[in-house]
Amino acid sequence: MTLLDTRDFGWILAIVALGWVGMWLLLPHRHGGSRTTRVTSVGALLAGIALLLFLPLLTPPGPLLPTLFFYAFSLLSLIGAVLMITARDPVYSALWFATVVLASSGLFLLAGAQFLAAGTVIVYAGAIIVTFLFVLMLAQSHGQAIYDRSARRPLASSFTSLLLLGALVASIVATGSGVTEETPSPVVSVNDLVKGDPATEPVALVAATAVRETARLPEPHEFGQRPPHVAGLGGTLFTDHLLAVEVIGLLLFIALIGAVAIATPRIPVRPDRSNGSAPGSSSSAPAGTA
Amino acid sequence: MTDYAFSFDQLSNYLILGAALMSLGMLGFLSRRNLIVMFLSAEMMLQGTALTLVSFSRFHGNWTGQVFTIVMLTVAASEAALALALILVLFNRNRSLDISLWQGLRESGLPESLDTDKAEPYVPLPGPESYPNLTPSGVEPPHPRQPWEQRRG
Repeated sequence: MTLLDTRDFGWILAIVALGWVGMWLLLPHRHGGSRTTRVTSVGALLAGIALLLFLPLLTPPGPLLPTLFFYAFSLLSLIGAVLMITARDPVYSALWFATVVLASSGLFLLAGAQFLAAGTVIVYAGAIIVTFLFVLMLAQSHGQAIYDRSARRPLASSFTSLLLLGALVASIVATGSGVTEETPSPVVSVNDLVKGDPATEPVALVAATAVRETARLPEPHEFGQRPPHVAGLGGTLFTDHLLAVEVIGLLLFIALIGAVAIATPRIPVRPDRSNGSAPGSSSSAPAGTA
Repeated sequence: MTDYAFSFDQLSNYLILGAALMSLGMLGFLSRRNLIVMFLSAEMMLQGTALTLVSFSRFHGNWTGQVFTIVMLTVAASEAALALALILVLFNRNRSLDISLWQGLRESGLPESLDTDKAEPYVPLPGPESYPNLTPSGVEPPHPRQPWEQRRG
């Protein structure tokens, strides 16, 4: 494990500082004051520079086409994340979150997780976003309510989050800077351990026992010959992780029961009236809405 | 070969992106006051973690990270169902999605963290709101057509 060199440290510090000021200017004002266009554009410029400073930290993944798609998806997810946080209208927030989900499912595809990419698009962008949009349409505030126009301690919270980001990125970059000719990878891959001879190397024996044949990713195939991706995933789900599958099925069932039990409107029981009024309609004037 | 080697550099790409998504989601969760935006930010933190897990799965050459991500998707779906049910109940109580209306649930001895009294009123943009120009079709309605002059809200 080596420490960061000065150049990387300064680079990450620049990301943290620019991102801090930029996100602070982009977030809503603490007391809901309106930002002028100039302040917002300065914030957008600083945050954009901080996002662009991320790109040299990434290494292009091999050939041209994966590189192109990787940079496009990563920029799209980062920009979508920033715009999702700073959008005043929660409907726009939900749509930018859908953009983040689509971009990160593209990154799943590039990392070789086809089933998860499709599953993420279906579960998040298909189901969750639509449900959130339903609730948003119910609330109908259009970004004019005071709780949409103001943020909670934007200066302190953006400093905290950007500091966390800087620490995480610094530790990742510091791990990667230990790469030399003798040790091409500072982190040992289980894939390399498994390939060793179990008769001579005890570590390889342990790794081969821990990672069974069904739990390994399919080997890369020749061109035109597809590795059985979803079949392999299903194989490992229903052999190595059968109990986990049962448990998450139970979890979904319990969550379904809980959601129905929580969301069902209960008519208040009044002793003097036979049919009570509808729930919620007797509440006071709308608080916080314009 | 359809597959290229997934070296540590590739892994660190995905780790950096996952860290960025995670901390931006944390920023949204800490600073925004809308209940739904806060839950979306929490989901974005989960997305960053899922990216990390998938890249580790590829790096180590086994399925465990992807199986973990499937479990996480399921937990996120259950969480979203329960969160939306809770948000509906809270919205029906107060007719508002403001999280700071529920400050009474905070730990005892802590001061109120928000001062919304100093908030400036909402200033709508001047002029009528622009709506898309739809092609008229069908029978002309008997009443005279009035131009829309008011803004929503």
